[in-house]
Amino acid sequence: MADDKEQKANPADAQLSVDDIVHGTFVKQGTMVAFPTCFPGASVPIRADESRITALSYSPNGMIYGGTSGRAAHLFVGMFHGVTGMILDRGVVEGADHCAAVCCVKDRFVACVNGPEGGRVVGAQYQDWPYDLIQEWGFWEKPIHELARLPQERILHAIASPDRTFIIGLTDRKLFTLNASSKELAVHGEVPGSGRIALGNKGGVFGLDGPGHLWRFDVAARKLERRAIALPAGEWADVPLTWARDEHTGLLYTADARGQLFSLDEDRGFSSPLGRTAISPVATMAVTHDGRLFGFCGNELANLFCYDPHTRSVADIGAAVSVLERRRYGYVFADAVTGRDGQIFFGENDDLGHLWIYFPSIAKRSA
Amino acid sequence: MPNKLARREFVKGSAVAAAAFLAQSKPARSSSGTEPAEASADTSYRTSWYPFTGHPHADSCWSLSVGPDGRIYAAACSEHMPGGVVKVVRYNEQTDALDYLFTLDEMVDDPHDSGRATQCKIHYSFVPSMSDGVLYMATHLSGPPIDQPAYSPWRSWHDEKRCFRGSALLAFDTKTDRVLWWDTLIPKEGCRCLLHDEERHLLYALSYPRDHFIIFDTRTRTRRDLGRIGSVNAQALFLDRRHRVWTTDDYGHLVRYDPEIDRLDRSPFVLPHDPEFQTGWHSVFYDVVAAPDGECVYAVTWIAAPRLMRIWPNEGDWPRVEDLGPVTQKRNPSIPKDTFVDHCGGLVFGGDRQLYYVASRWRDPVYNPMPADRPAREGVVWRLDPATLERTEVAVLKHPTDLAQYVSRGAVDRNGDLFFGNVGTKPVGIFKLHMPADRRIKNAHLPIRIWG
Repeated sequence: MADDKEQKANPADAQLSVDDIVHGTFVKQGTMVAFPTCFPGASVPIRADESRITALSYSPNGMIYGGTSGRAAHLFVGMFHGVTGMILDRGVVEGADHCAAVCCVKDRFVACVNGPEGGRVVGAQYQDWPYDLIQEWGFWEKPIHELARLPQERILHAIASPDRTFIIGLTDRKLFTLNASSKELAVHGEVPGSGRIALGNKGGVFGLDGPGHLWRFDVAARKLERRAIALPAGEWADVPLTWARDEHTGLLYTADARGQLFSLDEDRGFSSPLGRTAISPVATMAVTHDGRLFGFCGNELANLFCYDPHTRSVADIGAAVSVLERRRYGYVFADAVTGRDGQIFFGENDDLGHLWIYFPSIAKRSA
Repeated sequence: MPNKLARREFVKGSAVAAAAFLAQSKPARSSSGTEPAEASADTSYRTSWYPFTGHPHADSCWSLSVGPDGRIYAAACSEHMPGGVVKVVRYNEQTDALDYLFTLDEMVDDPHDSGRATQCKIHYSFVPSMSDGVLYMATHLSGPPIDQPAYSPWRSWHDEKRCFRGSALLAFDTKTDRVLWWDTLIPKEGCRCLLHDEERHLLYALSYPRDHFIIFDTRTRTRRDLGRIGSVNAQALFLDRRHRVWTTDDYGHLVRYDPEIDRLDRSPFVLPHDPEFQTGWHSVFYDVVAAPDGECVYAVTWIAAPRLMRIWPNEGDWPRVEDLGPVTQKRNPSIPKDTFVDHCGGLVFGGDRQLYYVASRWRDPVYNPMPADRPAREGVVWRLDPATLERTEVAVLKHPTDLAQYVSRGAVDRNGDLFFGNVGTKPVGIFKLHMPADRRIKNAHLPIRIWG
């Protein structure tokens, strides 16, 4: 017992108070709100084992489109501005159990899904603004249309082109583009499909090209360049490559398997290591309007982290918990997008997944 | 095989060992309401107190169950003291005292001074195996490492030196008093509650903190994780005649695992709750006991102002649920009442086929101005007649030095007496409720309860 045995573990932990341990474990800066996949009080959430949120996209009118995975894949739209405050289940994509990406293009939102028969790209009309969701409302089902099939392939990720006229997608073996309006599908070459892709600041799209390089796809020229950029020193084998883009500068961020953060500028290449997350791997991240990078790291029970480019420091912000709207712990997250006001939406990749809205803290002015 | 088990048989819904007392049941009330009426106190019951003197660091008794041998087993838990561990005890009817069977950390090679969170308690996780006389038990977490004032599983999840090693599952042979084997039931997590479907050789558990639904095959000693339910963590599971396993989610919905479809499902309705200040949130099961005929269960919720209900799992697509009303007193609804003060647990059927449970009662200047010579808080043992739903106060649990309003679990032994686990101030221990002679039935523990 404590009173008759030598203490063995880290004595620094003994200095913590009970409150430090209990409450200081969870988000230490900013506020997280877990929002259910429904209109609370007016509809039920997406069924628990069909609601693992794995894809998010931010639309031009400020709504959040997403897709789920599990026993079925649903598409949904979340709206949190004006007199709204809901998530609408836009329906099940028949035959799909995984949503790899959602992209907002000019005239619709597009989802890349997978199922037993392979990958598919589907699309549907954007959601109109509803009337006042405190007073009265009406919603009508809008069909989900199939745009393309990629039989026997699994789609890993996709993003919208800069002009939002088409999507660039990655399967487990090739790179493709699809015009959502014309349904024109084009394959641009074989690549070793792995991780996610991202748009750089000079019109290049990047993806992992083996353990040492990135490929680059020139969006304007529609040309793929293999082994275009060498990866910086780090652990890149088997990394679940993820990205975040600073929409103000176009700067990209990524992390190696040990949580070592780097930025990528198309002119200057990779930065030196910016810092390292407390645990790894990094699952998803996004950049808010002032340039801070927020993301989740660690398997099974993730922690939120922040990289501040102004101070060049990485902070562990703690485990996710929501005490507003829903009382919930958050453990696993798969995608993130930045909202209108710099809040970050995280997709919870767990049973009964919620859309988590993180409001970063605002620093006090110095004297 | 089923006929040999003598467990609480939903599958058969049949013969019960002690049936004599149906004749004593009063006529059923009219169907105008299902809330219990109260009768005047029955003073023919006597209580005894058995503190955990053999484990002075014990600060709670979270688990108390009847073993396959008809004897009472309890967990002397130590969850607040850094480095604390649980000891397993058994009531000895010959000596009228507690026997200390073993210290758990020593049995599973996870020493109390390892620097990790400790094997500090067993939480509603004793379950019997009738065919071989084994009592399964699974440990839970919360006890801090030896040099920390508290433990947070969220904080230490990725810390190899601190993280709880995992819920240890032990197979204790009640015939030889030996631990036959142990295994890790849930890595890194504790077991909040456990159930044994002996016919199918399956243990079901809820993990903490992640609230995952776990299935463990005792033949192959393999584990399956069916996924997450929520955040609160229900405190009980029960089984129906179709081998479906039931629990609750954060919002007071029934959650059902059906082996036929291998999927968790949630009821479309919310369980009974206080309409004035509750929404159904946190109306998770605290304790559930099966009626002797196996056709229904009685359950109480884990939230202040707990609600008693009767659930008929074998009826309909989703069960019929009867709201039997609140089991504790009224209070000021503008203040969230302490969970440890406003509580109900220890649901158990006696050999007289009456439901017994322990509900707290406390002094309140407005709603319950108890006399000054009474303790400020009491654990009241109630007897509820399932036929009439009339409830009668039969005893108040008397702790020699402190208050005793919180009971975790109750059980009936082979002699027909009732036992209750106490959570409160040290010394903690267990209570025995000596049943009146005309209600004390041999083998009243059969068919046996199969969940903790």
